[in-house]
Amino acid sequence: MTVRVGKPAPTFETKGYHQGAIKTIKLADYQGQWVMLYFYPGDFTFV
Amino acid sequence: MTAVAAKYDEIKSLGAEVLAISVDSPYTHKVWQEGELSKIIAGGLPYPMLSDPGGRIGEQYGVYAEEDGVDIRGRFLIDPDGVLQAMEVLAPAVGRNVAEMIRQIRACQHVRQTGEATPAGWEPGKKSLKPGAELVGKVCEIWSPDMAF
Repeated sequence: MTVRVGKPAPTFETKGYHQGAIKTIKLADYQGQWVMLYFYPGDFTFV
Repeated sequence: MTAVAAKYDEIKSLGAEVLAISVDSPYTHKVWQEGELSKIIAGGLPYPMLSDPGGRIGEQYGVYAEEDGVDIRGRFLIDPDGVLQAMEVLAPAVGRNVAEMIRQIRACQHVRQTGEATPAGWEPGKKSLKPGAELVGKVCEIWSPDMAF
């Protein structure tokens, strides 16, 4: 699947850490809001 | 990442949520948050840190680097309908420009709300363009490159 502006963003559901708790988070939870999803290479790196 | 956190209130005020994601486990996120990030910015990151084991999500977004086993630095702006509106991928050692991320949210929202187009360097309050037959060949009459800066 190719990601392309103007096309639906790939959906996902995964575990995450937020406000002291580990919870299941999915893209669909944010339907109706703008979402800025950013990937980064890893925890304990420098930038 | 902490730079995004510093501007989180502004991002939230635009009706946007931030999701950070890497191949690390939620437990690693917790330890990093408590041990280091909270020392860089009070309270640590206020938005969710997601886990992408094996890079399955990164692969779908085209940012999983199999040889290193990590998701590279890609940023995706998704609209309220779940449609991708902007994306940017940087080399791992190059940090992002948070002000530009916010500008892109504002520009995408302006386009969505008005149907207009935002020229280079557009910021709220600057001239936007109404695409249509009347504007064809006449952009030069109302816009110039100095307006981009």
